[in-house]
Amino acid sequence: MDFQGIYDRLKEQGAAGMQEANLPRLPDPADKKDKGRGGDPYVLVDPAQICAFMDLAKKDERLHFEILADLSASDPAVDAENFWVIYQLLSVKHRHRLMVKCSIPKSDPRIDTISGINRAAGWHERECSEMFGITFNGHPDPRNILLPDDWVGFPLRKDYEFPKEYQGISCI
Amino acid sequence: MPILENAFEENLLTTKVDWLLNWAKLNSVWPMTFGLACCAIEMMAVGAAHHDLDRFGAGAFRATPRQADLMIVAGTVNFKMAERIKRLYDQMPHPKYVIAMGACATGGGPYFKFGYTVVKGVDRVVPVDVYIAGCPPRPEALLEGLMALQRKIRATAVIRKPAITV
Ligand code: SF4
Repeated sequence: MDFQGIYDRLKEQGAAGMQEANLPRLPDPADKKDKGRGGDPYVLVDPAQICAFMDLAKKDERLHFEILADLSASDPAVDAENFWVIYQLLSVKHRHRLMVKCSIPKSDPRIDTISGINRAAGWHERECSEMFGITFNGHPDPRNILLPDDWVGFPLRKDYEFPKEYQGISCI
Repeated sequence: MPILENAFEENLLTTKVDWLLNWAKLNSVWPMTFGLACCAIEMMAVGAAHHDLDRFGAGAFRATPRQADLMIVAGTVNFKMAERIKRLYDQMPHPKYVIAMGACATGGGPYFKFGYTVVKGVDRVVPVDVYIAGCPPRPEALLEGLMALQRKIRATAVIRKPAITV
């Protein structure tokens, strides 16, 4: 299925929390003002309902996204008010992909874990939580995965300040 | 030693204690087996047949710090690793030497500016004898570094302070 097909199928099945979709298209030649729409196709999902959405995407016969290829987060800008949490789903059976995005507020960055649905999410969520300070509610093992346990700060946030020293070793 | 047995007449050999000790030390600098990043690939190339580190008596990579004389820090040292490197260094018996191989181990290398967990030079953790430039250094550079270390060992003196240093 192409993205349009996936999107229609999701709507048809009443996917939980689906807010909008980015459907890239070429500009309309008849309309001079129309610039088209760029970017990669994705669907935006309400973070509160991400588990239900993922569950449907995995279990639906026609979608069958059995693999979570990646889970990452991003901090768009210093003055932005949200983080993105980005899921890349892949179906080997039907040979199609889907990008799912969630927007969570920087003031209270938390989202439910999907490691109960897709176990591959476990380590990715640990990485996101140490790099961005996002809390994944209900994560079975929320330790740091890359950074030392006593690390201060979240390195991939745009407003991150580099440490001057760590355990007596100068960082400058 | 059956080959050498009776090959020479009874003889006397004179030498200097310092010279003998240094000769033994510098021809058997056994490195410890560990590599941290891409530089380790070059180190492995040096250990293999083409460049043959064994010519210098330094090809016996030991799997434990307790049998090693030389620590080749081949790669990027981050803070999590620095703690382990320090502990391994402390476990090595004297005399022990450290080679900082490559830009990362020498001073942070490509991660100098934005590597938030990279130690900006392994010399902030353990004392370094020889630095090797390059990213990664060519195998010949590591051999040159090893020979520099051997020159350094040759100039040390246990019995008497040397008149001249290198
Ligand atoms: S100096 Fe270059 S080749 Fe060596 S570990 Fe660092 S980045 Fe890799």
